[in-house]
Amino acid sequence: MHIVWSTFGIQLVAFLILFWLLKRYAFGPLFGIMEQRKALIQSQLDNAENSRKQASQQLEEQKQALQQARKEAHDIIEQARATSSKQADDIIGTAKSEATRLKDDAVRDIDSEKNKAIAALRGEVGGMSVAIASKIIEKQIDEKSQEQLVDQYLKEVGSK
Amino acid sequence: MDHIAPIVHKWGMEFDLAAIFMIIVTSIIVFVLARVCVRGASVDKPTKMQNFLEWVIEFVVGIIGTTMDFKKGKPYLTLGLALIMYIFVGNMLGLPLGIVSEAHHGATIFGMELDLGGEEEGHIAWWKSPTADVAVTAALTIVVILLTHIEGMRRNTKHYFKHYFEPYIPFLPLNLIKEVSKPLSLALRLYGNIFAGEVMIGVIVGGLSWAGVIPLIVWQAFSVFVGTIQAFIFVMLTMVYMSQAIVHEEKH
Repeated sequence: MHIVWSTFGIQLVAFLILFWLLKRYAFGPLFGIMEQRKALIQSQLDNAENSRKQASQQLEEQKQALQQARKEAHDIIEQARATSSKQADDIIGTAKSEATRLKDDAVRDIDSEKNKAIAALRGEVGGMSVAIASKIIEKQIDEKSQEQLVDQYLKEVGSK
Repeated sequence: MDHIAPIVHKWGMEFDLAAIFMIIVTSIIVFVLARVCVRGASVDKPTKMQNFLEWVIEFVVGIIGTTMDFKKGKPYLTLGLALIMYIFVGNMLGLPLGIVSEAHHGATIFGMELDLGGEEEGHIAWWKSPTADVAVTAALTIVVILLTHIEGMRRNTKHYFKHYFEPYIPFLPLNLIKEVSKPLSLALRLYGNIFAGEVMIGVIVGGLSWAGVIPLIVWQAFSVFVGTIQAFIFVMLTMVYMSQAIVHEEKH
């Protein structure tokens, strides 16, 4: 085995130069890129985690909002139903009272008309009685004529 | 027919031109590969090549993670990446082809005389795995082992010096041998595996000629496997030694 010492020295220098060149121009930049990628991936993972959390939070919020909306809708329907039945009752009540009032008015009118009629009749009957009495007094002279008169009046009454 | 290395003498030293050439080629391939992977890299839309390089990074992160707490081992990630890419590419380069030239005594290159080891003529191999040269693997190992000792002293000072005398002071020689054997085994394992692979390829091609096509394919496939495993083992052991140096185990 023959060792050429110059080869040893040249290899030593060559390797050191190669090492420096690789470090300076190849692996240095590449390590930087790999570090950056690591950071990038880490940040993207964090982002994804954040988005996931946000999404689930929003989903929860939406669920609550939906629940709320449902409840409100239910309330509104209930309220509407209550209002409408109350209104219907009101209308019916008003109608009933109106009807009662009309009936009462009618009854009152009938009563007053009846009373008026009775009063009028009474007056007429009085007048007629007076007239009859005066006629009787006039014709009392003779029995015959009286009888005749009564018949005449009865006839008159009967023909009326 | 033995292949020899193109060695020249200059400034009173030997230079292995093929090894230098292959070191440069391998370095350029690794750097260009890494640059191509990183070009147009983006955070959110990685290109296919970027994905490939990131897969390599994850692989080395896994190696570091099995030997020590990754937080402690993170500074060595770039070292592990540079090592595994350089060694893997180096191991693979020697497999697909060989460039051999014949030279006679007195031949010159770039105005320098080739050293044929005293022979009149030789077959010179220009293309081989750089990691099939023990000087190359030794250089890589020295980088790693020096770094483990420095990091041990810097980040784990007390435990680092104490561990030479554990469990008792007379164990110092054994501990020293252990520290010396680490770089030796690391360098020689890689060199041996890849060099043996290339020798086998040379033997199959040279000895069997056309009959050697099928054994050659089988052996090259196996060499791909070996080269991959050796790159992995080198980086794995680097990280194991590093963790031994810097991690202080709590004793009860």
